[in-house]
Amino acid sequence: MLRKGGIAARKFMPAGSSLSNVIYWVVIGFLFLPLFVLVLYSFNSGRQTTWQGFSFVWYQKLVMASPELWRAFFNSITIAFGSALMSTAIGTLAAVGTTRYSFKLKNLVSTMSFVPMILPEIVVGVSLLIFFAGVGLRLGLLTVWIAHTTFNLPFVYLLVSARLEESDPSIVEAARDLGANEMQILFRIILPMALPGILSAFLTAVTLSLEDFVITFFVTGPGGTTLPLYIYSMIRFGVSPVINALSAVMVAGTVLLVYPMRNFLKVFAAR
Amino acid sequence: MVKLRKVLLNLSAFALICTLLVLSGCGGGGQSKTLYIFNWTYYTPDSVIQKFEKEYDVKVVYDTFASNEEMFAKLKAGGANYDIIFPSGDYVSIMIKEGMLEKIDKSKLKNFANIDPQVLELCDFDPGNQYSVPYYMGAAGVAVNKTKVQTYDRSWSIFARKDLGNHMIMLDDMREVMGDALKYLGYSVNTTDQKQIDEARDLINNVWKPNLLKFDAEAFAKSFASGEVWVAQGYAESIFAEVDKANWNTVDFFIPKEGGPSYVDSMVILKGSKNKDLALKFIDFIHRPEIYAEFCDYFGFPATANVPARALKKGESWYRPEDLLNCELKEDVGADLEKYNAAWQTIRVGK
Amino acid sequence: MKKQVGLLYSLPQILWLLVFFAAPLCIIIVYSFLKKGLYGGVEPQFSLEAYTALANPNILLVTWRTLKISIIATALTLLIALPCGYSIARSKNQAARLFLVIVPFWTNFLVRIYAWIAILGNEGFLNDILRALHLTTESVQFLYNQTAVILVLVYMYLPYAILPLFSTIDKFDFTLLDAARDLGASRFQSYVRVLLPNIKSGLMTAGLFTFVPIFGAYAVPLLIGGKDSYMLGNIIADQLTKTRNWPLASSISMTVTILTTGLVFLIAMRKPREQKQVFDADPAFLQAVPAGKR
Repeated sequence: MLRKGGIAARKFMPAGSSLSNVIYWVVIGFLFLPLFVLVLYSFNSGRQTTWQGFSFVWYQKLVMASPELWRAFFNSITIAFGSALMSTAIGTLAAVGTTRYSFKLKNLVSTMSFVPMILPEIVVGVSLLIFFAGVGLRLGLLTVWIAHTTFNLPFVYLLVSARLEESDPSIVEAARDLGANEMQILFRIILPMALPGILSAFLTAVTLSLEDFVITFFVTGPGGTTLPLYIYSMIRFGVSPVINALSAVMVAGTVLLVYPMRNFLKVFAAR
Repeated sequence: MVKLRKVLLNLSAFALICTLLVLSGCGGGGQSKTLYIFNWTYYTPDSVIQKFEKEYDVKVVYDTFASNEEMFAKLKAGGANYDIIFPSGDYVSIMIKEGMLEKIDKSKLKNFANIDPQVLELCDFDPGNQYSVPYYMGAAGVAVNKTKVQTYDRSWSIFARKDLGNHMIMLDDMREVMGDALKYLGYSVNTTDQKQIDEARDLINNVWKPNLLKFDAEAFAKSFASGEVWVAQGYAESIFAEVDKANWNTVDFFIPKEGGPSYVDSMVILKGSKNKDLALKFIDFIHRPEIYAEFCDYFGFPATANVPARALKKGESWYRPEDLLNCELKEDVGADLEKYNAAWQTIRVGK
Repeated sequence: MKKQVGLLYSLPQILWLLVFFAAPLCIIIVYSFLKKGLYGGVEPQFSLEAYTALANPNILLVTWRTLKISIIATALTLLIALPCGYSIARSKNQAARLFLVIVPFWTNFLVRIYAWIAILGNEGFLNDILRALHLTTESVQFLYNQTAVILVLVYMYLPYAILPLFSTIDKFDFTLLDAARDLGASRFQSYVRVLLPNIKSGLMTAGLFTFVPIFGAYAVPLLIGGKDSYMLGNIIADQLTKTRNWPLASSISMTVTILTTGLVFLIAMRKPREQKQVFDADPAFLQAVPAGKR
């Protein structure tokens, strides 16, 4: 399917784009190389990176893995969806506010939303740690959730605003002329219009949260170990083939999860 | 559009449930039957934890840290309400000075008598063990891959060997590596003499470092097991966890004859713990001879802190308690740590 | 009336960022002007020590090294990302091609770093292949140097450079290229003189979203780097957790923040129109942004 697109596209393309296609596929190979190695070694019977024979031993160990691993896994999922929900809610509202209306603090809001993105992660993590300690908030899942919501916000805000600015403002005017109140406009018109943006913001936030290591490292507390933290602490003690197996399962899982959403991805790229 | 809305609805419902879970998980601190432990990664076997949970019908939450410094930074910032922490001796004294620890009622510890008096005597960081109970005494050593390196001296001088260049690794740990060099030069690992520290710095920087692949406290055991690194300074339990059992006979682990910095990891109760009694029960549980032997066997440790456990141990140990004779306990050096910092930064930053 | 509605919508975000972002940032600023506590934390005593300590030759050396690595890695990333973005933009299956770029990034990044160690190690995948092909007998030392750090950094941030480039190239009117060719420009000339100036904002965004996170990189230099790969992110972390010098960690953080924010505003302020494009690019491009976070 992909190849078909490539050939069809070449017809109207200036020559030279074939070179860019070659580079593209080389880059895809480059991006997938570690994944390939990961899956390969998850079937290695030995612990080391030298091949010692095919085996499912790490998958068996994964199933029987310690409760710590599963706790970290569920913490990660919980935090990812919880923080994505919160940041999507707040960020979407702010995006609606700044794109649909103009008010005095508008520029401040957009700038303020932008700065956390520039800050190095480690600075965000450290400052939040000191802040939580200062206000006496107990470190744990709650603080991780707050931190993740905070670093997700700029992304959500930018994604949703981008979507809203693309859409036609006259529809809202028409609805208002027809007597729709603010709530009706928000829920019946603006939010449905922004839906692809909201959904992609939500997914981005989930991905960001699942990935985060540095900030979580600083703000987590009792019982708040997430999967990246767990993997980090585990890796030096040689349990990593189990992690390879877990990663392979997760790759397969995300592909299975994303494949049905490929239509959504088209919405996303088509303009 | 309708489809998208459905997806979104489902997602938000799921996320809402998750958020509720998060909040209930955090807000519900009222569960007194949960013991929060903050310990080194893989330092208490799961089986021991599970036995404790079963016997006392409680839940144990076991979180991990990778270095004393990391643990201390976290607790110092506050907000992390653990019950039991496992710091090393130098950090026990720091935490006592900072008023972070709860006194331990030894009358409630039936098994305190099992602890080796020699180890207790070493506990200068907490005279009379008012705040801490020793968990394990050990030291980092050197692992050698015998298939790659046949002749060698069991001394820190191995890191000066140019023929092993780029096949050796040392921990990314200031006090450990500086302590090794100081011991090799015949000084104390707790020296505050600027000249001695400078001498150790120059030894590491000019003689050892050129032969090292890198300083690594994360993946040293992995690099060693893969055969990339032939000589690794590090902890025995990490090395042997990573090397396949079939290859254990190719590994020689030793504590260099000059000795090095040793550590006594202790169990302490954090001030403000809501489960003091349960924490005491856990500490006492660890020092039951059969439990202590189980812990040591799991990691291949000698039963350094618990005397009756030595007879109950079934497995072999990577080193013997006697090997630690020339080692010296790391102590808090107070403001003089700045001298170590400066020396270590020069070593780490320079080319 | 309308004004208040807009503010009302934005209020939750304003409050959230005010409490959980602006406040902690203020703490960092205050901490950087205090004296360090013996066992971490700070003493309530004004001091410029944390800033004078920045003149330490070790820190200057690390800053210089970090700058060098960041610039090289960013340049390489852009160089590779440009044809990729072009190829995606001109493909009929944009969604599928974009998807292929994003998918590898749904695996934990630590696991991916470790996969690179397994590939590049002396006993790793690449050396096995080289030996099997009899190209070498001895292992080649790929890992634990700055080159390896740059390679893995490029890997880590490539998708986030590809996506913004794709979305700007996608908006580009390709007939302009043909026009340039008709007017006698060579293929190369037409790309450099016509395409590049038209996708400037995409290049800048891509550059920004790679440079900024690389500048603060922490895990990659720690795990992939060798003796010569200690970077600014590592210094900040070490000051905080190992040497317990919180004011110094704060002052370095402040300096990094001011420098990067300054850089962003310099770029954003240059031309108001381009700034708008940075903020208002389409969703596909913004998907790239997550990259900027590590």
